[in-house]
Amino acid sequence: MTEETKFAFSIHQEYDVYHAQQRALDFARDTGFRRAEIYRLATVVTELCNNLVFHTQRGGLFTMRLQHRSGRWGIELTVEDDGPGILDLDLAMSDGFSTVHGLGSGLPGSRRLMDEFHIESKPGVGTKVIAWLRQ
Amino acid sequence: MGSPSETDHLHMVAFLDRLTLGLQHAAAPVIEDAAFAGLRGFMAEIAGARARDGFYPSATAAFVMSFKTAFIPILSAEYSGSPERCQSEIKTLGDIVDQLAFLTFDAYATAREQVITRQNQAMLVLSTPTLRIWNQVVMMPLVGIIDTRRAQDIMEQLLMAISRDEAKVAILDVTAVPIIDTRVALHLTKVVAAARLLGAEVIVTGFSPEAAQTLVKLDIDLSRIRTRGTLRAGLAEALRFLGLRVGAIT
Ligand SMILES: Nc1ncnc2c1ncn2[C@@H]1O[C@H](COP(=O)(O)OP(=O)(O)O)[C@@H](O)[C@H]1O
Ligand SMILES: [Mg+2]
Repeated sequence: MTEETKFAFSIHQEYDVYHAQQRALDFARDTGFRRAEIYRLATVVTELCNNLVFHTQRGGLFTMRLQHRSGRWGIELTVEDDGPGILDLDLAMSDGFSTVHGLGSGLPGSRRLMDEFHIESKPGVGTKVIAWLRQ
Repeated sequence: MGSPSETDHLHMVAFLDRLTLGLQHAAAPVIEDAAFAGLRGFMAEIAGARARDGFYPSATAAFVMSFKTAFIPILSAEYSGSPERCQSEIKTLGDIVDQLAFLTFDAYATAREQVITRQNQAMLVLSTPTLRIWNQVVMMPLVGIIDTRRAQDIMEQLLMAISRDEAKVAILDVTAVPIIDTRVALHLTKVVAAARLLGAEVIVTGFSPEAAQTLVKLDIDLSRIRTRGTLRAGLAEALRFLGLRVGAIT
């Protein structure tokens, strides 16, 4: 395996999310992830990319790649946008909080599904999530 | 970037074949010359494949530009006796690669657009049929993407079928939905609530074990939805709900 394989997708509309989801399923499968982890990873991709579509005007960028962290292989997801940002990150990271009558579990659920999860957001500047799932 | 992969290497060789052929027959070193048709087609193909695979356009451009430096040692050896000739050959090849880089970028963009258009079309033709599978039982298999628009279709079609067939039970089969995320889950709960208003109970079938595990982690509460693992179990549940039972003929 190599860390050079990297995929990038610009996400603007719902269909882009579906495409990204399918590619994430393929990538995790080809990399030898187990069924449950493949499903997890694709779910997180779907959640984070849906946030690009539903919480920003212009969408954003999703990338995924193989990455070694503390001696283990895994897949790293990066999802970033230059949208409105999140005013209260703690609130957004708690279950059931949604500004659009969603279920509000996308961000907190993604954190639980991944082995590592980092989010930063600045109002008026944008939001960036970097997450990693061990193989 | 590190050493080129095996496919990159194969591409290099194929590229050089076509380039040499072009240079031998072209009247002038311009990429539009008919002699370079093979090379142009080849690069368009590579760019297209890379677009479909989600490579960065810049990575594809870098790949093309890498040919430029690859020539230098070969040409230097070939024309070691004539530095002027060597310079001019390097320039000719460099020009060709530059022109190719532009072509490749266009091909990349076109392929990307084609992918998107094709997928949009494929999605639109996916209808949402409802089937009356028993007296007072309708079934709807969901396939593929459930975006906002299809969620509306599903809602409309299912409610229509329920009232048309005076159904008491509707089975929604999600076996062919690749991922049940929070939005899909929310759509499902809305369909269930609306169907109840029409007096029909919805049974959702086909959650995979992975889906169930993930939904729990997402903290999605489906306890108010009747679910069954398989379509078969769902049908049995529907019949039980209606007070019916399928038995062997005696
Ligand atoms: N990329 C983003 N840009 C701006 N706000 C966001 C972004 N992602 C999430 N949010 C905010 O965080 C909230 C919680 O997100 P999430 O947990 O995914 O729930 P939901 O999408 O169902 O609302 C959203 O309602 C939105 O206000
Ligand atoms: Mg969300």
